[in-house]
Amino acid sequence: MRALRGLRVYLLLAGAAFRAEFQYRGNLFINIIGGLFYQGVGLAFIWAVLDRFGQVGGWGLPEIAFLYGLRLTAHGLWLLPGHQLVHVDEVVIEGEYDRYLVRPVSPLVQLLTRRVRLSSLGDLAGGVVLLSIASASAPVDWTPGAVGFLLLAVLGGALVEGALQLAASALVFRMKKVSPIKFAIDMIFSDFGNYPLKIFGSAAGFGLTFVFPLAFVAYLPATVLLDREDELAVPAWLGWGAPAVGVLLMYAAYRFWERQTRHYESSGH
Amino acid sequence: MPVIEVADLVKEFRRPKRQEGSFAGLRTLLTREQTVKRAVDGISFQVARGEMVGYLGPNGAGKSTTIKMLTGILVPTSGTVRVAGTVPWRDRARNARQIGVVFGQRSQLWWDLPLRDSLWLTGRLYDVPTARFEEKRRQFTKVLDLGSFLDTPVRQLSLGQRMRGDLAAAMLYDPSILYLDEPTVGLDVVAKERIRAFVGELNRESGTTVVLTTHDLDDVEELCDRIVLIDHGKVAYDGAVAELKTRYAPHRELVVQTDALESVEGAEVVRREEGKVWLRFDPARTPPAALVASVLARHEVTDLSIVEPELESVIHRIYADRG
Repeated sequence: MRALRGLRVYLLLAGAAFRAEFQYRGNLFINIIGGLFYQGVGLAFIWAVLDRFGQVGGWGLPEIAFLYGLRLTAHGLWLLPGHQLVHVDEVVIEGEYDRYLVRPVSPLVQLLTRRVRLSSLGDLAGGVVLLSIASASAPVDWTPGAVGFLLLAVLGGALVEGALQLAASALVFRMKKVSPIKFAIDMIFSDFGNYPLKIFGSAAGFGLTFVFPLAFVAYLPATVLLDREDELAVPAWLGWGAPAVGVLLMYAAYRFWERQTRHYESSGH
Repeated sequence: MPVIEVADLVKEFRRPKRQEGSFAGLRTLLTREQTVKRAVDGISFQVARGEMVGYLGPNGAGKSTTIKMLTGILVPTSGTVRVAGTVPWRDRARNARQIGVVFGQRSQLWWDLPLRDSLWLTGRLYDVPTARFEEKRRQFTKVLDLGSFLDTPVRQLSLGQRMRGDLAAAMLYDPSILYLDEPTVGLDVVAKERIRAFVGELNRESGTTVVLTTHDLDDVEELCDRIVLIDHGKVAYDGAVAELKTRYAPHRELVVQTDALESVEGAEVVRREEGKVWLRFDPARTPPAALVASVLARHEVTDLSIVEPELESVIHRIYADRG
């Protein structure tokens, strides 16, 4: 019952944010195209590298495109509901958060639905198109199980990225300014997330799996789907378990957020 | 039966101590030294159902901090708050359904949407049944005169219109307690009057309990019978407005329009201006009737009035005394 009410309230508030965004219709297309363009530049860079060297860490263009598409889709899927966490600093410092606390609705839901940024639709659309094309040309046997796992992997990847951003955002209640941390997290995702992790060496590979769980977003699930488990330094079941890791991390991050909100100090006293 | 119970309430804000010298920023980040500011320092009071209480104090006295603890925004450092049986910060959502909150400085409405949408969304968030919602909206549209701007985006409303919209949204779900934080700040006289009339009527008709913080003491004089005055995080006065005046400003002034008046027994001449004389007296020692009679007996008087002290000057005097 509670979950159902939560979903209803989320849709209600997200709908309001959409209606508000459509008041500025001109922004809409510019935002979506901006998002697509930004990701397109990243892809062009990898394409240039591959064109020159043929392979990166033994991965050819179809495999890299598959990895890239998987990560981009997960990223867009997280960003669509999660984008407003970018503004957590101002919401907390300027006391906008006060107003969320006097309504009988989850404050986090109100924060996430304060506005929508349609550039995230560009990321998501770009990711879905790329992933669809890459899935067709990548050497994967698309059994129903594999398709199901791919969908779960996208969802899990979105949850992993969301969990890290949510946990970092939760620090705002004590630290007041967390945007540099969140920006750094975003940089790591976009700089390292689109390549086979093994090219960075075993120390970085370990760090980006167990310290900063980047590997679970796309690299591990893509590796097991592409049947390249042999190159993994970790057991293959970790790759198959990536979606579950996403769920666990998001749960932990949400609990952390809930605990930290008690330290909210509002503004001006 | 008190609806709001506050006991020994304390709120401290801790900040890392700002370091000076080289690498000050980095050392501030790493230091474990803290400065502690006690914004609320052991406040206790109770509010009965249906009461209208003015919660007053100078800037930085701890007013807003107290209100934020009552509404569930801040978690107290120590002490207890109970609002109609709930602990606001712990049962935040439950508490939210029984209170209406209006911050004069900050709207709770959806900025980019028409006021109509904000009201509708509020009704949905608080699970107001459709028929009840329609009835309330019609009622508020009439009483607060919202009709002409229901379809205007909130960001285009004037301050007075926005406040009326905020009040409507805050009362849409029939909360039994209404917190008003500076509800008339920045409004013109007509707009202020309209807000006061609405709040007064809510209290009379529905028995809504009202806690009002304001810098405009006319709000308090018009609406509240009781005030809680705080200073430096402590309660400086808690009681009736009338009693505050007798205790801190026992004197009245008799203003007499007359040609020549040197002195009168039992009163002191405090001011002379354009043929008017202000006489200050203590009604406990010099009965007003006797004073008026003795003035009239000896002087040619064209006009005469007794002036009550204004709440504002009374409060100024209290703060001045406390230093």
